[in-house]
Amino acid sequence: MEKQHKVLIANRGEIAVRIIQACCKLGLKFVAVYTQEDVHSGHVKLAKELGDKNSLYRISSYHDANEILSVADTAEATAIHPGYGFFAEDFRFARRVTERTRPLIFLGPSWRVIRELGDKINTKRIARSLNVPTVPGSDRPIYDESEAEKIAHTLFDFQLQQGVKTPLVLVKASAGGGGMGIEEIHDIDLFRSVYRRIRNYAMRQFKDDGVLIEQRITNFNHLEVQIISDRSGKNPVHFGTRNCSIQSTGLQKRIEIAPGFDPKNIHYTFDAQKVMDDIIEHSLVLARKVNYDSVGTWEWIVTKEGNPFLMEVNTRIQVENGVSAAISRIKGKNGVDLIAEQIRTGLGEPLGYTQNDITFDGIGIEYRIIAEDTEHNFTPWVGDIDTFKYEKAPWLSMHTHLPKVSKENPYTIPTEFDPNLALGIVWGTNLENAKQRGKEFLNSLVIAGSNPQGESLKSNIPFLLENTDRILKF
Amino acid sequence: MLDITALLEEIKQHPYTDLSIKTPHTGKIEFSNLKEGDKVTDATGEFKEFPGTKIAVITRENNPRFIHACQKGIIQKLHKEYDNGFVEAGVEIGILRHFLTKEEVINTILQKTLHLFLAPERAKYYFIPDIDTKVKVYGSRSVTVTDGMELFIVSRMKREVPLRYTGPNGIIYQVYFSHNQNVDVNQPLIGVCSPDQVETIEDVVSRVNHEWKEQN
Repeated sequence: MEKQHKVLIANRGEIAVRIIQACCKLGLKFVAVYTQEDVHSGHVKLAKELGDKNSLYRISSYHDANEILSVADTAEATAIHPGYGFFAEDFRFARRVTERTRPLIFLGPSWRVIRELGDKINTKRIARSLNVPTVPGSDRPIYDESEAEKIAHTLFDFQLQQGVKTPLVLVKASAGGGGMGIEEIHDIDLFRSVYRRIRNYAMRQFKDDGVLIEQRITNFNHLEVQIISDRSGKNPVHFGTRNCSIQSTGLQKRIEIAPGFDPKNIHYTFDAQKVMDDIIEHSLVLARKVNYDSVGTWEWIVTKEGNPFLMEVNTRIQVENGVSAAISRIKGKNGVDLIAEQIRTGLGEPLGYTQNDITFDGIGIEYRIIAEDTEHNFTPWVGDIDTFKYEKAPWLSMHTHLPKVSKENPYTIPTEFDPNLALGIVWGTNLENAKQRGKEFLNSLVIAGSNPQGESLKSNIPFLLENTDRILKF
Repeated sequence: MLDITALLEEIKQHPYTDLSIKTPHTGKIEFSNLKEGDKVTDATGEFKEFPGTKIAVITRENNPRFIHACQKGIIQKLHKEYDNGFVEAGVEIGILRHFLTKEEVINTILQKTLHLFLAPERAKYYFIPDIDTKVKVYGSRSVTVTDGMELFIVSRMKREVPLRYTGPNGIIYQVYFSHNQNVDVNQPLIGVCSPDQVETIEDVVSRVNHEWKEQN
């Protein structure tokens, strides 16, 4: 790199740890931030160990752009990595970072790309213009009741023609998100009342009564395509597919597998290899259209019949990037680090390889290890962790922000953030080998602790073990 | 039986509290012209629309934020060594000696009188919708609680679960939590008073109002 850059890490926990590690790998300086709740987090400890005296600052909130930029100036950072969550997909923040008096590099897509693909409706519109399949339904917010009803009727009729016995239609507040303002309808006679309810809710909550009408697709697999491109935006390449169908009841991912299907070992009722090839090609077409210039994930749903539909594009590095890296080889070499690639290309280096240089080997499984009660609606468990141990293996990589814990020195899980504790990524030569190693890892993993009521820690390890057998199957 | 006289005497021996003034954010700090020993006032006006005495201003990304006195009192200490420097969030920049008001003395004594229902874990707490409406419209003392009744919603990590009240039956005399604010484990959520305690509590209030002299 021509210039000695310094990267401000505007995030916390596991992703902050991994960005620090990636910076060190690339020989870059970094500055990390933390809030009072995270004072004992592993990312703080690592920043103290690997950084200099200007490598760690306490702030009041990870959501405060003013503070983050103030720290960036004081620490003389030249770039900001947003991680995932917080400012990662906020085009206004990305624009502010790059267009201020003292401009910084935003280590994510350019703000125009985030704006273009961050809006689900716009993504759908661009996708349709390129003949990329999207979930059937409206591609713009509907404000007129009779138009909305007409679309709903069409979707019901379409599903009946497709042989769907119980057609379902989703009514969504177009400005909503995170599962808010969504209802499904199984009886078209109920449409008007539901439509009005959602419209009024949207007006109250988001000051916009636009509503989306979509087909509700059930019994599907959730696949993703990992894309990366340098700042030219001309030569996007893919790092394969992932299957993220094993989720909590709140539709949050728990196990991710790369690649997305395993047609060599599992029988599918459709040509699974072709589906994976198709969604990769569709994703690349869309990436080229918008000159995508960073890492990003194209999220798809694939029905049991093998029909893929694009759901959305996540214009950021994702939690599960490591599982794609685990099976990827660049010019035959393993040790791919997509976060380092994102930083390197984000700072202006060309990609330096083409799709032909990327190959895939084996199967990767990522387990999200979380303190939660899976038998009671995946309720987060909060308390002190005093034991965290597992058997190390060459086929296992563990990413965590947990510091070294003991009975005398436990770690208290902060209640202010998501309860993710660690990511365990297992690699196997084939599906059976990966599953067997996954179980071996989970059986060796011990997490213990207690809460103020004296109750023992609850984790999702049994859930992960139980679901390992059904990975990549419908 | 609570000895109010003894409690009042104890508070009179130490009629103030020293409050730490901390930076709310990171940024560059500039102190106002205050010096140690100066008196400061808190926010005033019917709606607390006039802020308290300005202690410092902290600037982040060209956005100034004033640090005002949140209580009236006397400046005991100012860390002027930070003046014109960059400070992190949560750094102590001074100490304010605040003399207790009648209301605060009453609260202190009531916490020893009422049955306190404590937060079982660090989280945000809300009354269930029916109770919340009643508290907002008629005040907390209009609500009678019974052992085992569903009273709160506990919110943490984007999840909400109900919480039942346990303890003696009575009315909610005091509420100690605020909307959208985290409450630490074992901090009081409400103070409950049984019907036969009302007389004692009113006696506390009246004696404090009569005996406590507030310092200006």
